[in-house]
Amino acid sequence: MKFGIFFELSVPRPWTRDSERIVYENALEQAAVADEVGFDYAWAVEHHFLEEYSHCSSPELFLTAVAMKTKRIRVGHGIVVCVPEYAHPIRVAERTAVLDILSGGRLEVGTGRSATWCELGGFRANPDETKKTWDEYVHCLPKMWTQERYSYQGRVWSMPERAILPKPYQKPHPPMWVAVTSPGTEIDAADRGMGALGISYDPLPVQEKKLLEYRRHIKNCEPVGEIINDHCAALTFLFCNEDDKFAIKHGTAMFMQFGLLANQIVMCREAYPTKSYPSAGLLPAVRAQAQGPSDTAGVPEGVAIGDPERIVKTLKKWESAGFDSINFLTQAVEMIPQEQVLNSLRLFGKHVIPHFKREQPAQAAAGQGVAVGGVR
Amino acid sequence: MRFGTLDINEIAAAAPEIDGYGTEPLSLKNAQVLNVTSEISASGSDALLPPSMNPSIPPYVECTVMVFPESPWGPFSTGELRLVGRAGYRPRARTFKTYVDNPKAAAELARRWGFPVAPGKAQLHLRHERIVVEINDERGRRVLDAEMIDREGISGSDIQYIASMHLVRNRADGKLVLVQVDPDYVFTKVERGFSHFIYIDQEAWGTKGLIKLTNPIISTFAQCEVILPKIRFICDPNQNALLSTVRV
Repeated sequence: MKFGIFFELSVPRPWTRDSERIVYENALEQAAVADEVGFDYAWAVEHHFLEEYSHCSSPELFLTAVAMKTKRIRVGHGIVVCVPEYAHPIRVAERTAVLDILSGGRLEVGTGRSATWCELGGFRANPDETKKTWDEYVHCLPKMWTQERYSYQGRVWSMPERAILPKPYQKPHPPMWVAVTSPGTEIDAADRGMGALGISYDPLPVQEKKLLEYRRHIKNCEPVGEIINDHCAALTFLFCNEDDKFAIKHGTAMFMQFGLLANQIVMCREAYPTKSYPSAGLLPAVRAQAQGPSDTAGVPEGVAIGDPERIVKTLKKWESAGFDSINFLTQAVEMIPQEQVLNSLRLFGKHVIPHFKREQPAQAAAGQGVAVGGVR
Repeated sequence: MRFGTLDINEIAAAAPEIDGYGTEPLSLKNAQVLNVTSEISASGSDALLPPSMNPSIPPYVECTVMVFPESPWGPFSTGELRLVGRAGYRPRARTFKTYVDNPKAAAELARRWGFPVAPGKAQLHLRHERIVVEINDERGRRVLDAEMIDREGISGSDIQYIASMHLVRNRADGKLVLVQVDPDYVFTKVERGFSHFIYIDQEAWGTKGLIKLTNPIISTFAQCEVILPKIRFICDPNQNALLSTVRV
């Protein structure tokens, strides 16, 4: 079982000149502490225009800073938006390779296509096309990373033969993931030999169902890259404190406020009817979880809020379900004071992580992919 | 978070009186429903929403025309302009005005569901490649022109209609409340197309010149059964809907 922290970089109003700087500095400090106490991943989203909810529009820069401040933790794009209006595929290949070099081979490349009308409309991207463009990107990226020279003639984009430089430090290339929100995307991930990066805050039973489908399909995958990433990650919230009641009170408030903020955003499904977005993305999941069944203390099912003992029990359920890793939103809307966030991470490292089976650090640092045709 | 800043007193006098919240659902068969949507500038959206609601990101308006060939009050049509925002976690729209061409229907829509009715006429002109919308007031003055262009069939399951929030005065206690009206739809045919707003008379709609169209989104057209619902939720227009919404 591996653990990650997941950065949305929410910046609540009222905004001052320093609001965003403080959020970014706090996040870097959290990443450094997470590295020290044994977290395995630091993921950062790519979002644009999402006022207050996420001011993380250039995750490659943020993750570079994370890499500079850490030694061991793997840095992850959660995710790179694979839509031409956002970023040309050559630029995605180049900048991820640079980040992999600068991080010493610690990069994880999550891929996705955005789910909000706010973002897609802002870039004037066609929501009907995003699944197709994503598919083309993920088939091209590993080849751009590994082939000395590359040329391509596709439906969405094309290029004459060129050397795409630099090449990633990890060989054959960084592990690849797919953000899973819409129903069926877990199957897209499995069919392509890519990890399933749960980002939807779905309750455990919903995510468990997706996991089973993923496991069933990946046995017969046709990998897009030279390694298969067969890991399944889930996403939930974390607030750990010595005082269980304090953790529940403040952690639940953070969770609710994040959900409320998320629901202000116009999702693609709401504004632009298309088969390409059969669900409303993460928002109903947040809403359902916020209003869904709780334990007797009022903690929504599967959410890692409480004292270390409660959190261990919660995470054992995720582990039993078969997830390889859990990523946590540890702060939202700056509701939790920075010292308490850091305390939460330290407590988690000291009292929770030791309860779970861990890969040896050397294995973890070498990446987690299985070579195509190879054995883990 | 941003909240609406509309002074409710500005629109209180026009709020329909409602006979409590116990109205029964009403099925209206063989309806045509056209929605034309466009983003608007965020600079005006807060001032058009009550303090109980939040503007969506980005804010957008919907022109909705419904044509009902049969009803207990005879055939009628409605033409609305609404601003989509949020009531707590939920997408909800404030209806500026509902033009209705049948006085009996208008009276019932106001009395039972709090529609902010005004006499007028909404028409849909169905062409092969577009549907033209015209909404006129009772004097025949045009108050809105729009089009859905390049009609294309889609599935009813792809559509998500947004429920309305109507400001009403409850006759029993005289209180002003927002009632949520969330009709059900049973689709037989659904299309989409490009949105094209041609003209909005902001004075007629009472939007104080604050609607600045910025980015057309999409239009939809449906042939369906519309079921006007029971009223299930109300909230205080001046309090955060997340905290003040109650089930009736």
